[in-house]
This record gives sequence, C-alpha cells and structure tokens, in this order.
Amino acid sequence: MSAHGHPKAIGGQLLGPSMVKLLALFALAAAVMLYRFVVGVGPVSNMTDGFTWGIWEPLNVVVFTGIGAGAFSVGLLTYAFNKGQYHGLVRPAVLVGAIAYTLGASSIVVALGRYWNAYWLPWVPYWNLSSALLEVAVCVIAYVTVLWVEVMPSVLEGAAASKHPRWAAIGKRWGPKLAKAMPFIIALAIVLPSMHQSSLGGLMLIAETKVHPLWHTALLPTLFLVSCLSMGFGAVVALVTILKLAWNGEHDQKLLAQLSKVNAGLLFFYVALRLGDIAWSGKLRYLGANFYTGLFLVEMALFLAPAILFLVPRVQANRGRLFGAALLAVLAGAAYRMDTYLSVYRPAGFDANGNAIPAGWQYFPSLGETIVTVGMAAVGVAIFIVVSRLFPVVVVDERSQHSKLERGAMKTAASR
Amino acid sequence: MAISRRDLLKGAAVAGAATALAGRAEAREAVAPLPESVGMLFDATRCVGCRACVTKCKEVNELPYDRTPDGQYDAPNDLNGTTKNIIKAYAGGEQQTYMKQQCMHCLDPSCVSVCMMGALHKEAQGKRLMKGERPIATGIVLWDKDLCVGCRYCQIGCAFNVPKFEWDDAFPKIVKCELCRHRADPKKEGPLAVANPACCEVCPRQAVVYGKRADVLAEAKRRVAAEPERYAAKVFGEHDGGGTQVLYLAPKGVEFSALGLPVLPERSSAELSEKVSHAPYLHGITPIALYAGLAFVIKRNKKKEEAAEHGREGKR
Repeated sequence: MSAHGHPKAIGGQLLGPSMVKLLALFALAAAVMLYRFVVGVGPVSNMTDGFTWGIWEPLNVVVFTGIGAGAFSVGLLTYAFNKGQYHGLVRPAVLVGAIAYTLGASSIVVALGRYWNAYWLPWVPYWNLSSALLEVAVCVIAYVTVLWVEVMPSVLEGAAASKHPRWAAIGKRWGPKLAKAMPFIIALAIVLPSMHQSSLGGLMLIAETKVHPLWHTALLPTLFLVSCLSMGFGAVVALVTILKLAWNGEHDQKLLAQLSKVNAGLLFFYVALRLGDIAWSGKLRYLGANFYTGLFLVEMALFLAPAILFLVPRVQANRGRLFGAALLAVLAGAAYRMDTYLSVYRPAGFDANGNAIPAGWQYFPSLGETIVTVGMAAVGVAIFIVVSRLFPVVVVDERSQHSKLERGAMKTAASR
Repeated sequence: MAISRRDLLKGAAVAGAATALAGRAEAREAVAPLPESVGMLFDATRCVGCRACVTKCKEVNELPYDRTPDGQYDAPNDLNGTTKNIIKAYAGGEQQTYMKQQCMHCLDPSCVSVCMMGALHKEAQGKRLMKGERPIATGIVLWDKDLCVGCRYCQIGCAFNVPKFEWDDAFPKIVKCELCRHRADPKKEGPLAVANPACCEVCPRQAVVYGKRADVLAEAKRRVAAEPERYAAKVFGEHDGGGTQVLYLAPKGVEFSALGLPVLPERSSAELSEKVSHAPYLHGITPIALYAGLAFVIKRNKKKEEAAEHGREGKR
C-alpha cells in the first residue's frame, strides 16, 4: 500500500486570472437566471410543452450528479468493501460530489415554474411516494447535506491547524467528534445515492410511449445506478490526473489503474445488461439503418471503448492514456443519460417500427439555457479551487518536490 | 476482512430473498373506474369541426383568445397555456375527420402518479381538499395551484400531452381541462350536479356528450352495435392506458392512431412505473436494512484500520 499522505491546503492566490474567467461565466449565467425570474422560463429557453425539460434537467441534474457520483463510488469501494488504499481519493471525490449535487439541486430551482411552492417539499403528509421525482428531490436534498457534512472533516482539520486560537479550538473540539460519527454518515452517503440514482432512471418509466423502445425498459433504474458508478469512477481518475497537473497532487498510477479495472467490470456489466435486455425483450427488430440505431451504437462504443482500454497494460501504465479512457467512461454515462431524457424522447411517441410520430415540437437548447449550464459548471470548478486552496482536501505529492524543473513545466501545463 | 465479506454476502442473500418475497406482495393493483365517475363521449363521425366548443371553453374558463403570428384571431393549432379544448382535423380516407382534444381524465392518470405533492389529483382523492374541492369521487383530475412547484413532470408523463404550462409568465400555472366542474349545479340531479362541460352544452351536433362514465360507455357501445357500418368497433378509452373517463368513437376504417391518439397497452403507465420503482424498496425495509448493515460494516472496518495503524506505530 502506498504510504497515504495527508491532505493539505494548496494555498496560493484566490482570485487568479482563471478564477476571474470562471466567475465571469457564472455572472453571465446569474444574469440569465435573474431575467428568467422576471419574465418566466419561456423567453430564456427553447423549452416547449413538448420538450418541457430542455437541457436543464437532463444535463444540470442528471449528468452533473452522475459526475458527482465519484463520492458515492469511491466511498462504496473504500468503506463498504474496505479498500483502504483508495482513501486518498475520498476527499477530492466528496468535494466534487458536494459541489455537483449542490449545483444540480440549485439549478433545478431556476427551472421550476412555481418554485415558491417548493417550501412544502419537507412536509411529509404531502409526499406522493409514487413520484420518482419526489424521491429524487427529497433524497438529493438530504444527500447534499450529507455530502457537505462529509466535507467538514477537511474544514475542521484546516481550522485546527489555523493560527487563530478560536478557529483552532473549534477545529480541535469538533474534529474528533465528527470523526466518531463518520461511519453513520458514510453509510447514509451510500444508501441515499443508490436510491436517487436509480430513481433518476425510474423517472422515465412513466414515459413509456415517449422514450424510444431501445431505451425504455424496466431496467432503467438499474442501468442508471450502474452508469452513475462508472461515471463516478471515471470522474475521480480524471480529477486526480488534473490535480496532479495543476497542483502536483498525489497521483498513484497503479492505484488508478486498479480502480479503472473495477470500472471496466462495471462498464462491461452495463453493456451486457443493455444488450441482454434488448435481445430478451425482443427489441432487436428496432435496430436498422436509422437515427436511433446510430445513437445506440455510439453509446455502446462509448461504454465498450473505455472498458477495453482500462484492461490494456499500455493504457494502465500511462497517465495520459488512462485519463483519456476515464473521460470516455464519463462521456459514456453522460451520453446514455442525455439520450434517455432528450435525444430519444419524442412527445408524440413512436410507431410500431420505432419511428417517431411527428409532432409540432422541435427542440435545440437556446443560448440562455446553454449560458446557465456552462455558468453552473464554471462556478462548480471555482468552488472546488477555492475550497482546495483554503482547506486540506488534496493530498500533495511531497516526493517529487526536488525536481524544480519538472514542477515549473507542470505549472505551465496547468495554467494553459 | 474475510468476515466482512461474508457478512456482505449474507446481507445480499437476505436482501435478495426478501425482494423476491415482497415483489410478489407489492403487486400494485390496476385502478377500477369509480362508481360515481363522470366523463364524456366524443363521436368523431358527428363532429363537423365548427369549433363552437373551443370558443365556449375559452369563454367559460376565462381564457384569453389566441393570436397567431400572422394576425389570425383565436386559431390555436394545439392545446396550450390558453387553450384547454381544441378541435383538430385529420386527413385520411375520403374526407377529413375532426377530433376533439382535452384532458382524458384517466382512471389511473400518469400525471397524478408522478406529481410530487399531489397538486394534480383526482377529486377528493388527493393529499388534501383544496379550496372549492368537494368530497365527491368524480374522478375529475384537478390541479391544486398551492402544491404545484411547476416541475412539469406531468407533461413528461402524460401520453396525451394534455397539461400545458404558461411559458411566458413569471408566475406560471399548469393549464388543463377540469371538466367545467365550476359550472356544476348542486341543485340538479345526477352528473350535472358535479360538473357541466360547456363543450357538451354548446355542441350543435351532440358530437360530444357528458354523463357518468358508465352511461357514456354504454351509449358508445350502443351506437357501435346499432350502426356497425358507421363506426370502428373499438371504443377508445374503455381500456386504453388503464382506461379513461373521456371516450372516443371513430369512423369505420379509421384507426385511432391516425387521429392523434397514442397506442397504449391496457394497463396504465402508472402501474408499470410504480411497480418497477417500488419493488426493490420492500415498503422501506431495504434502505433501512442497507443502512444498518453498512453502518455496522463501516464502523468495524474503521476500528480494524485504526488498530492496524497503532500496531504499525508500535513496531517503529
């Protein structure tokens, strides 16, 4: 096992040029959101009664939380399956999870038409337990809280090491107490995402006429659960690589390769489920020379490519190649999610041959929708940078500090 | 380590067995029509497309008239945020067929199944009685403006694309037909005591009639039996999507799917979605058991790791 080093605050300038750019993107998004609250959802988006969720729900919620599922997948591996060697990956993964989920949950408020009624959501007597969206909403709100509690050990550690006596006292007092409670919080951090990630798939069960038959299946919850794990593992490998380049974060190629082998298993499992389900339920007849088959093949290729690459020694041994393969794994899950919610969603449904029945609705995301999505992603990156600079989240590799030349090269690479 | 793995396997086995058991126990029943439910029958062979019902609907529901971009007045081409009822013409056969579209008031509505806090609900069967709601199970699907968060999941769920959203409004509403229940006259007997759809009242050809669902269904079957050369044999809505309270008759030789209605299985989408989603939960046992098991395993793993670390330090 690698000597697991301790995370430390990165420090450095908070408001650098890249931070300004990220915040500018968010400011643009904030302006669009403010405008939306004045004029309604219609004028800023291309959403219609036919394509009522546009990209905000599928991308900002379903894909963002898929990326944030790194906290779930690494937590599951590290704690439930007791693979202590992955410990160093937990903190960055949890921070990404906390940020991604917070953004997902808050961007949905922008999409809600009657957001002011949302204060009823915690009122249990009004819960409609048949609604997958209610399950997602309640569970995501709970999970966001849990994720930030999981971030707290970093913050308290940072406080304990602080020069201000009062901060230090708070950190020293509450840090150990929280550490004691952590197993019970971590268990919640595994149960909650397994519930709402499968519900995100279950959400589309009701639209059985509107989601193309190659995608609509009773396995939707299972497929969404598996795809969030594979996205999560991919996102963690990509994240660790970026942290290495940006801040010389600890980067254990062997460990990441090992993690990716687990991911390969998940990706193959997904493909087997998907293909088996289609063959078993007699849906092979929908395959042919059409748009949906094309999309399906792209998806399958996106899942199979990283699965195979993760098993190739040349990829396992190379940081760049493994990074690329991990990004493919994230992209695969993202494509599956976007397709199910949007690309193969047709409001008027499909005929017996799987061709879309024409309806009066067309959809392509508007500039406003895109700005909001990009701005939300940008502020997510910004928050990650700020928290990592201030608090001990990232494990920094102390060993390679002697090579100043190399570090310089890294910095230029990162600032590019 | 070995023990924890065994525990996990044991847990998985127990969970699996329990899932199989409760999967059977949890079978969600199909929803039968309520005895007092009211509905409409639209006879496409009678409609001449005069659209008096569209105009009257706007009038009694106080909906603004539409304007098309080229200036034509009140010519909506679909249901929308200001149109709860519409007549559409479908080409096919020797002449075109006119179809009426409004909320179907399904027996087991998708919109009700997916609505987070029961804003959309069948009258008297929701989470609460909203203002003006009577404790009579009419089967009318109502919208409670104070429980709707505007998530628009109903629009995703509805196979008929009925619920509409006010896109250009900062405080938008969900707009759909509520069978003119506000025009009910409690002094009257029978179905008129609970609702009185203006479209049925105004139709010059009685192409659309209102009544108890059981009665309009019997009337539909009577018409088909009396003039089999005039009608398609099927009554749309008797079983489609679990059954609807608004029923349709089509001219002979014309498929309902050619008239803009979806092809639906006999069980409702809500039944499928709720069955599949609820099965693994076992009435809430699974998450609790999973949580307890995980908390136990994680706590023990942590203790072991701490013990191991102390051991290592001791050696140094």
